[in-house]
Amino acid sequence: MDAQRAGIAVPGWQAEAVELQPINEMFDAQGRPRPECARVIAYLLAMDSKRLVELGERAHQMFQTMGVTFNVYGDHEGGERIFPFDPIPRIIPADVWAGLEAGLIQRARALNAFVADIYGEGQIIKDGAVPRDLVIGSPQYRHAAVGISSPCGVYVTVAGIDLVRGADGRFHVLEDNVRTPSGVSYVIENRRIMTRLMPELIRGLRVRSVENYPAYLLASLRELAPRGAADPTVALLTPGPFNSAFFEHVFLSQQMGIELVEGRDLVCMDHKLFMKTVHGPRRIDVLYRRVDDDFLDPAVFRSDSLLGVPGLTAVLRAGNATLANAIGTGVADDKGVFAYTPAMIRYYLGEEPLLPIVETYLLRDLEVRRAVLRDLDRYVVKPTGASGGYGVVIGPSATDEELAQARKRIEAAPADFIAQPVFPLSVHPTLTGGAGADGKATLVARHVDLRPFVLLGEKPRVLAGGLTRVALREGSLIVNSSQGGGSKDTWVLEE
Amino acid sequence: MLRRIAGSLFWTARYLERAQWRARLVDVNYHLLLEVPPRDAEPWEPLVRITAEQELFATKHSHASEASVIDFFVFDKENRSSIRSCIESVRANLSPLRHLISSELWLAVNRLYLEVQGWSAQALAAAGVSAFFADLQRHFYTIEGIIVNTMPRDLTYDLIAMGTMLERPDNVSRLLDVKYHYLLPRLEDIGGPADIRQWAAVLRSASAFEAFRKVYGNAIRVNRVVEILVFDPAFPRSMRFSIERLAQAFARIALREGEPVPENPPCAQLLAMLHEGSADQTIADGLHEFLIDVEARCARLADHVFDRYMSLE
Repeated sequence: MDAQRAGIAVPGWQAEAVELQPINEMFDAQGRPRPECARVIAYLLAMDSKRLVELGERAHQMFQTMGVTFNVYGDHEGGERIFPFDPIPRIIPADVWAGLEAGLIQRARALNAFVADIYGEGQIIKDGAVPRDLVIGSPQYRHAAVGISSPCGVYVTVAGIDLVRGADGRFHVLEDNVRTPSGVSYVIENRRIMTRLMPELIRGLRVRSVENYPAYLLASLRELAPRGAADPTVALLTPGPFNSAFFEHVFLSQQMGIELVEGRDLVCMDHKLFMKTVHGPRRIDVLYRRVDDDFLDPAVFRSDSLLGVPGLTAVLRAGNATLANAIGTGVADDKGVFAYTPAMIRYYLGEEPLLPIVETYLLRDLEVRRAVLRDLDRYVVKPTGASGGYGVVIGPSATDEELAQARKRIEAAPADFIAQPVFPLSVHPTLTGGAGADGKATLVARHVDLRPFVLLGEKPRVLAGGLTRVALREGSLIVNSSQGGGSKDTWVLEE
Repeated sequence: MLRRIAGSLFWTARYLERAQWRARLVDVNYHLLLEVPPRDAEPWEPLVRITAEQELFATKHSHASEASVIDFFVFDKENRSSIRSCIESVRANLSPLRHLISSELWLAVNRLYLEVQGWSAQALAAAGVSAFFADLQRHFYTIEGIIVNTMPRDLTYDLIAMGTMLERPDNVSRLLDVKYHYLLPRLEDIGGPADIRQWAAVLRSASAFEAFRKVYGNAIRVNRVVEILVFDPAFPRSMRFSIERLAQAFARIALREGEPVPENPPCAQLLAMLHEGSADQTIADGLHEFLIDVEARCARLADHVFDRYMSLE
């Protein structure tokens, strides 16, 4: 099947496209405050600029005292960092959010249906709506997941869907995260900080709460318990203190009141899963895992892994415990499969996608590849197998040498890359670097994205808002925390 | 409770106690040497012997000076028992189990940890040794106070208590053992002002000076020092007091689990030794042998606690 038949655009006109200017989230093209931002802007303008700098410093201090941090891989000295926080909030009005929420639920349901199908009948492949080799050849495809079923048919319990706002003001999907998406703890901590920094403003604007997320998550997880577990025991599996998201694992397990377990705390006996407690082994019904597939079960995946527990896959196969997210869900957030997600929504739900995706070209198609390579400096090239912003080449800002290297890598293994036209991520006023030489605050425009979180259980649940990430470096389009990104509090307004 | 978590709580307590202990050792020795002109070539050397870390110390420093011992005891990242390492371990252990402890405790530990991140020999010199350790001690007392006053007397608390009460007698034992043999040969000094100052320093190292004076007045003698640090039923850092608290923690756990109180609880023998013994008799029979025996028994108790509550095998 070729790309055009599947509705995948072949670039060509892109090369001539006019450079699109990013929109500013707080001000319109004439520099007037957007209506939903008027009160925040008035509040900021009324504030002494030194006080604004102090707010930023106070926020940093609060994060430090509370120990809200993330770890940086490969950084042993002082590997613990504060995720930079920007106190200027990002506002999403109620009607915009209502549209996003419907689109996010639609998307999560389609991705979930895809996972269920791929490891079940594989109907979508048989019907030719998604190419077989793209799915089976995905580095995230796990043959071991074939035949493992889940109560209420949920495989993607937690989805983090990265949205970016284009020059037309519409939110587009940039990528999906349906393996072990992280960042939600910062959403909640950011809000805690903001309720201390700007309490009157939050109350005045009627900002929707985010505190219910852990309760939502726990409810969704409990709904996935194997039948027969009346009062199911849920535990969170972490790779341990050296994982970059360890703080979040601690945070969520505490908020949900469940045990935070490591592989060595677990044991499988009689095709059942147990944790080793002071009072003897205790049965686990649902394991919310934040460990990658490959490390889950040394009996099935990487045999050198100490992060999982041998026999887990057999427990799941026997239906004696549920894993969230299920094994192999990564096949649905594969960057190549991403191009087919609109087709997936139509295929499984019979609906038109509510959220557009950022145009995505699979470089494995010769025609597409030629077109992209001709104007490589106009594209963002991403390796399909990586996440966290690693290995991404941004055409317009890449050096000739970097482009030449990217070209070589693409030609050597075209199936390992996708290209997207450079997307004009919206910008947001941001307080970076604190005070200037005169001690006054300066607000500058920085690119932002949004990662909302969707939960699937017996019914879908969506956290109001999500994690707004901001690229703190001037002009940078990469918002990942591992690449110098920070975050903002996201305020979804009540009707 | 997960067995791994039980281990984290136990070690948190041990590291806290150890850090506090080391802070006092250095502080007291520093102040002792301010006034007495050192007779020995290396008046800081006994500290290294007290902690039985001569080997590691020798790989880093040619001799025990004020600077080298402070570096080794306070700042050294490679010394797992340095105050810095202990505090970092405490925080690393507690971080994933904030749900089991009060938020006040976490904040106090994290505050101390953040302070440690700014530690250096220069910072200590700038603050002055006295102020540095006074400040550190305040942190420890705050943390202890929070533990005692905010934590329910449940398994979490009992595991912390076990860690503290096993670390403490071990430290007292090492202090006594080394100081006794270090001070003993100076027969010409016995009862002399230098000798008394040295024993007063031992008492201060165990925060026992005022408690001692309340019981015995100003008459500092070796046997009385041993009495208060080993056999005293009321002084909270005596070995007897610690082991009694340990026994109580064992009993509380058994009671909560509805187990019958065992006829021969794990610390019964050690407890009997401490109830029935006296300083005079122990010194006559050989203090060193007695202390070695106590240390071995404490180690066996730690093994028992590990097997019973923490081992993942």
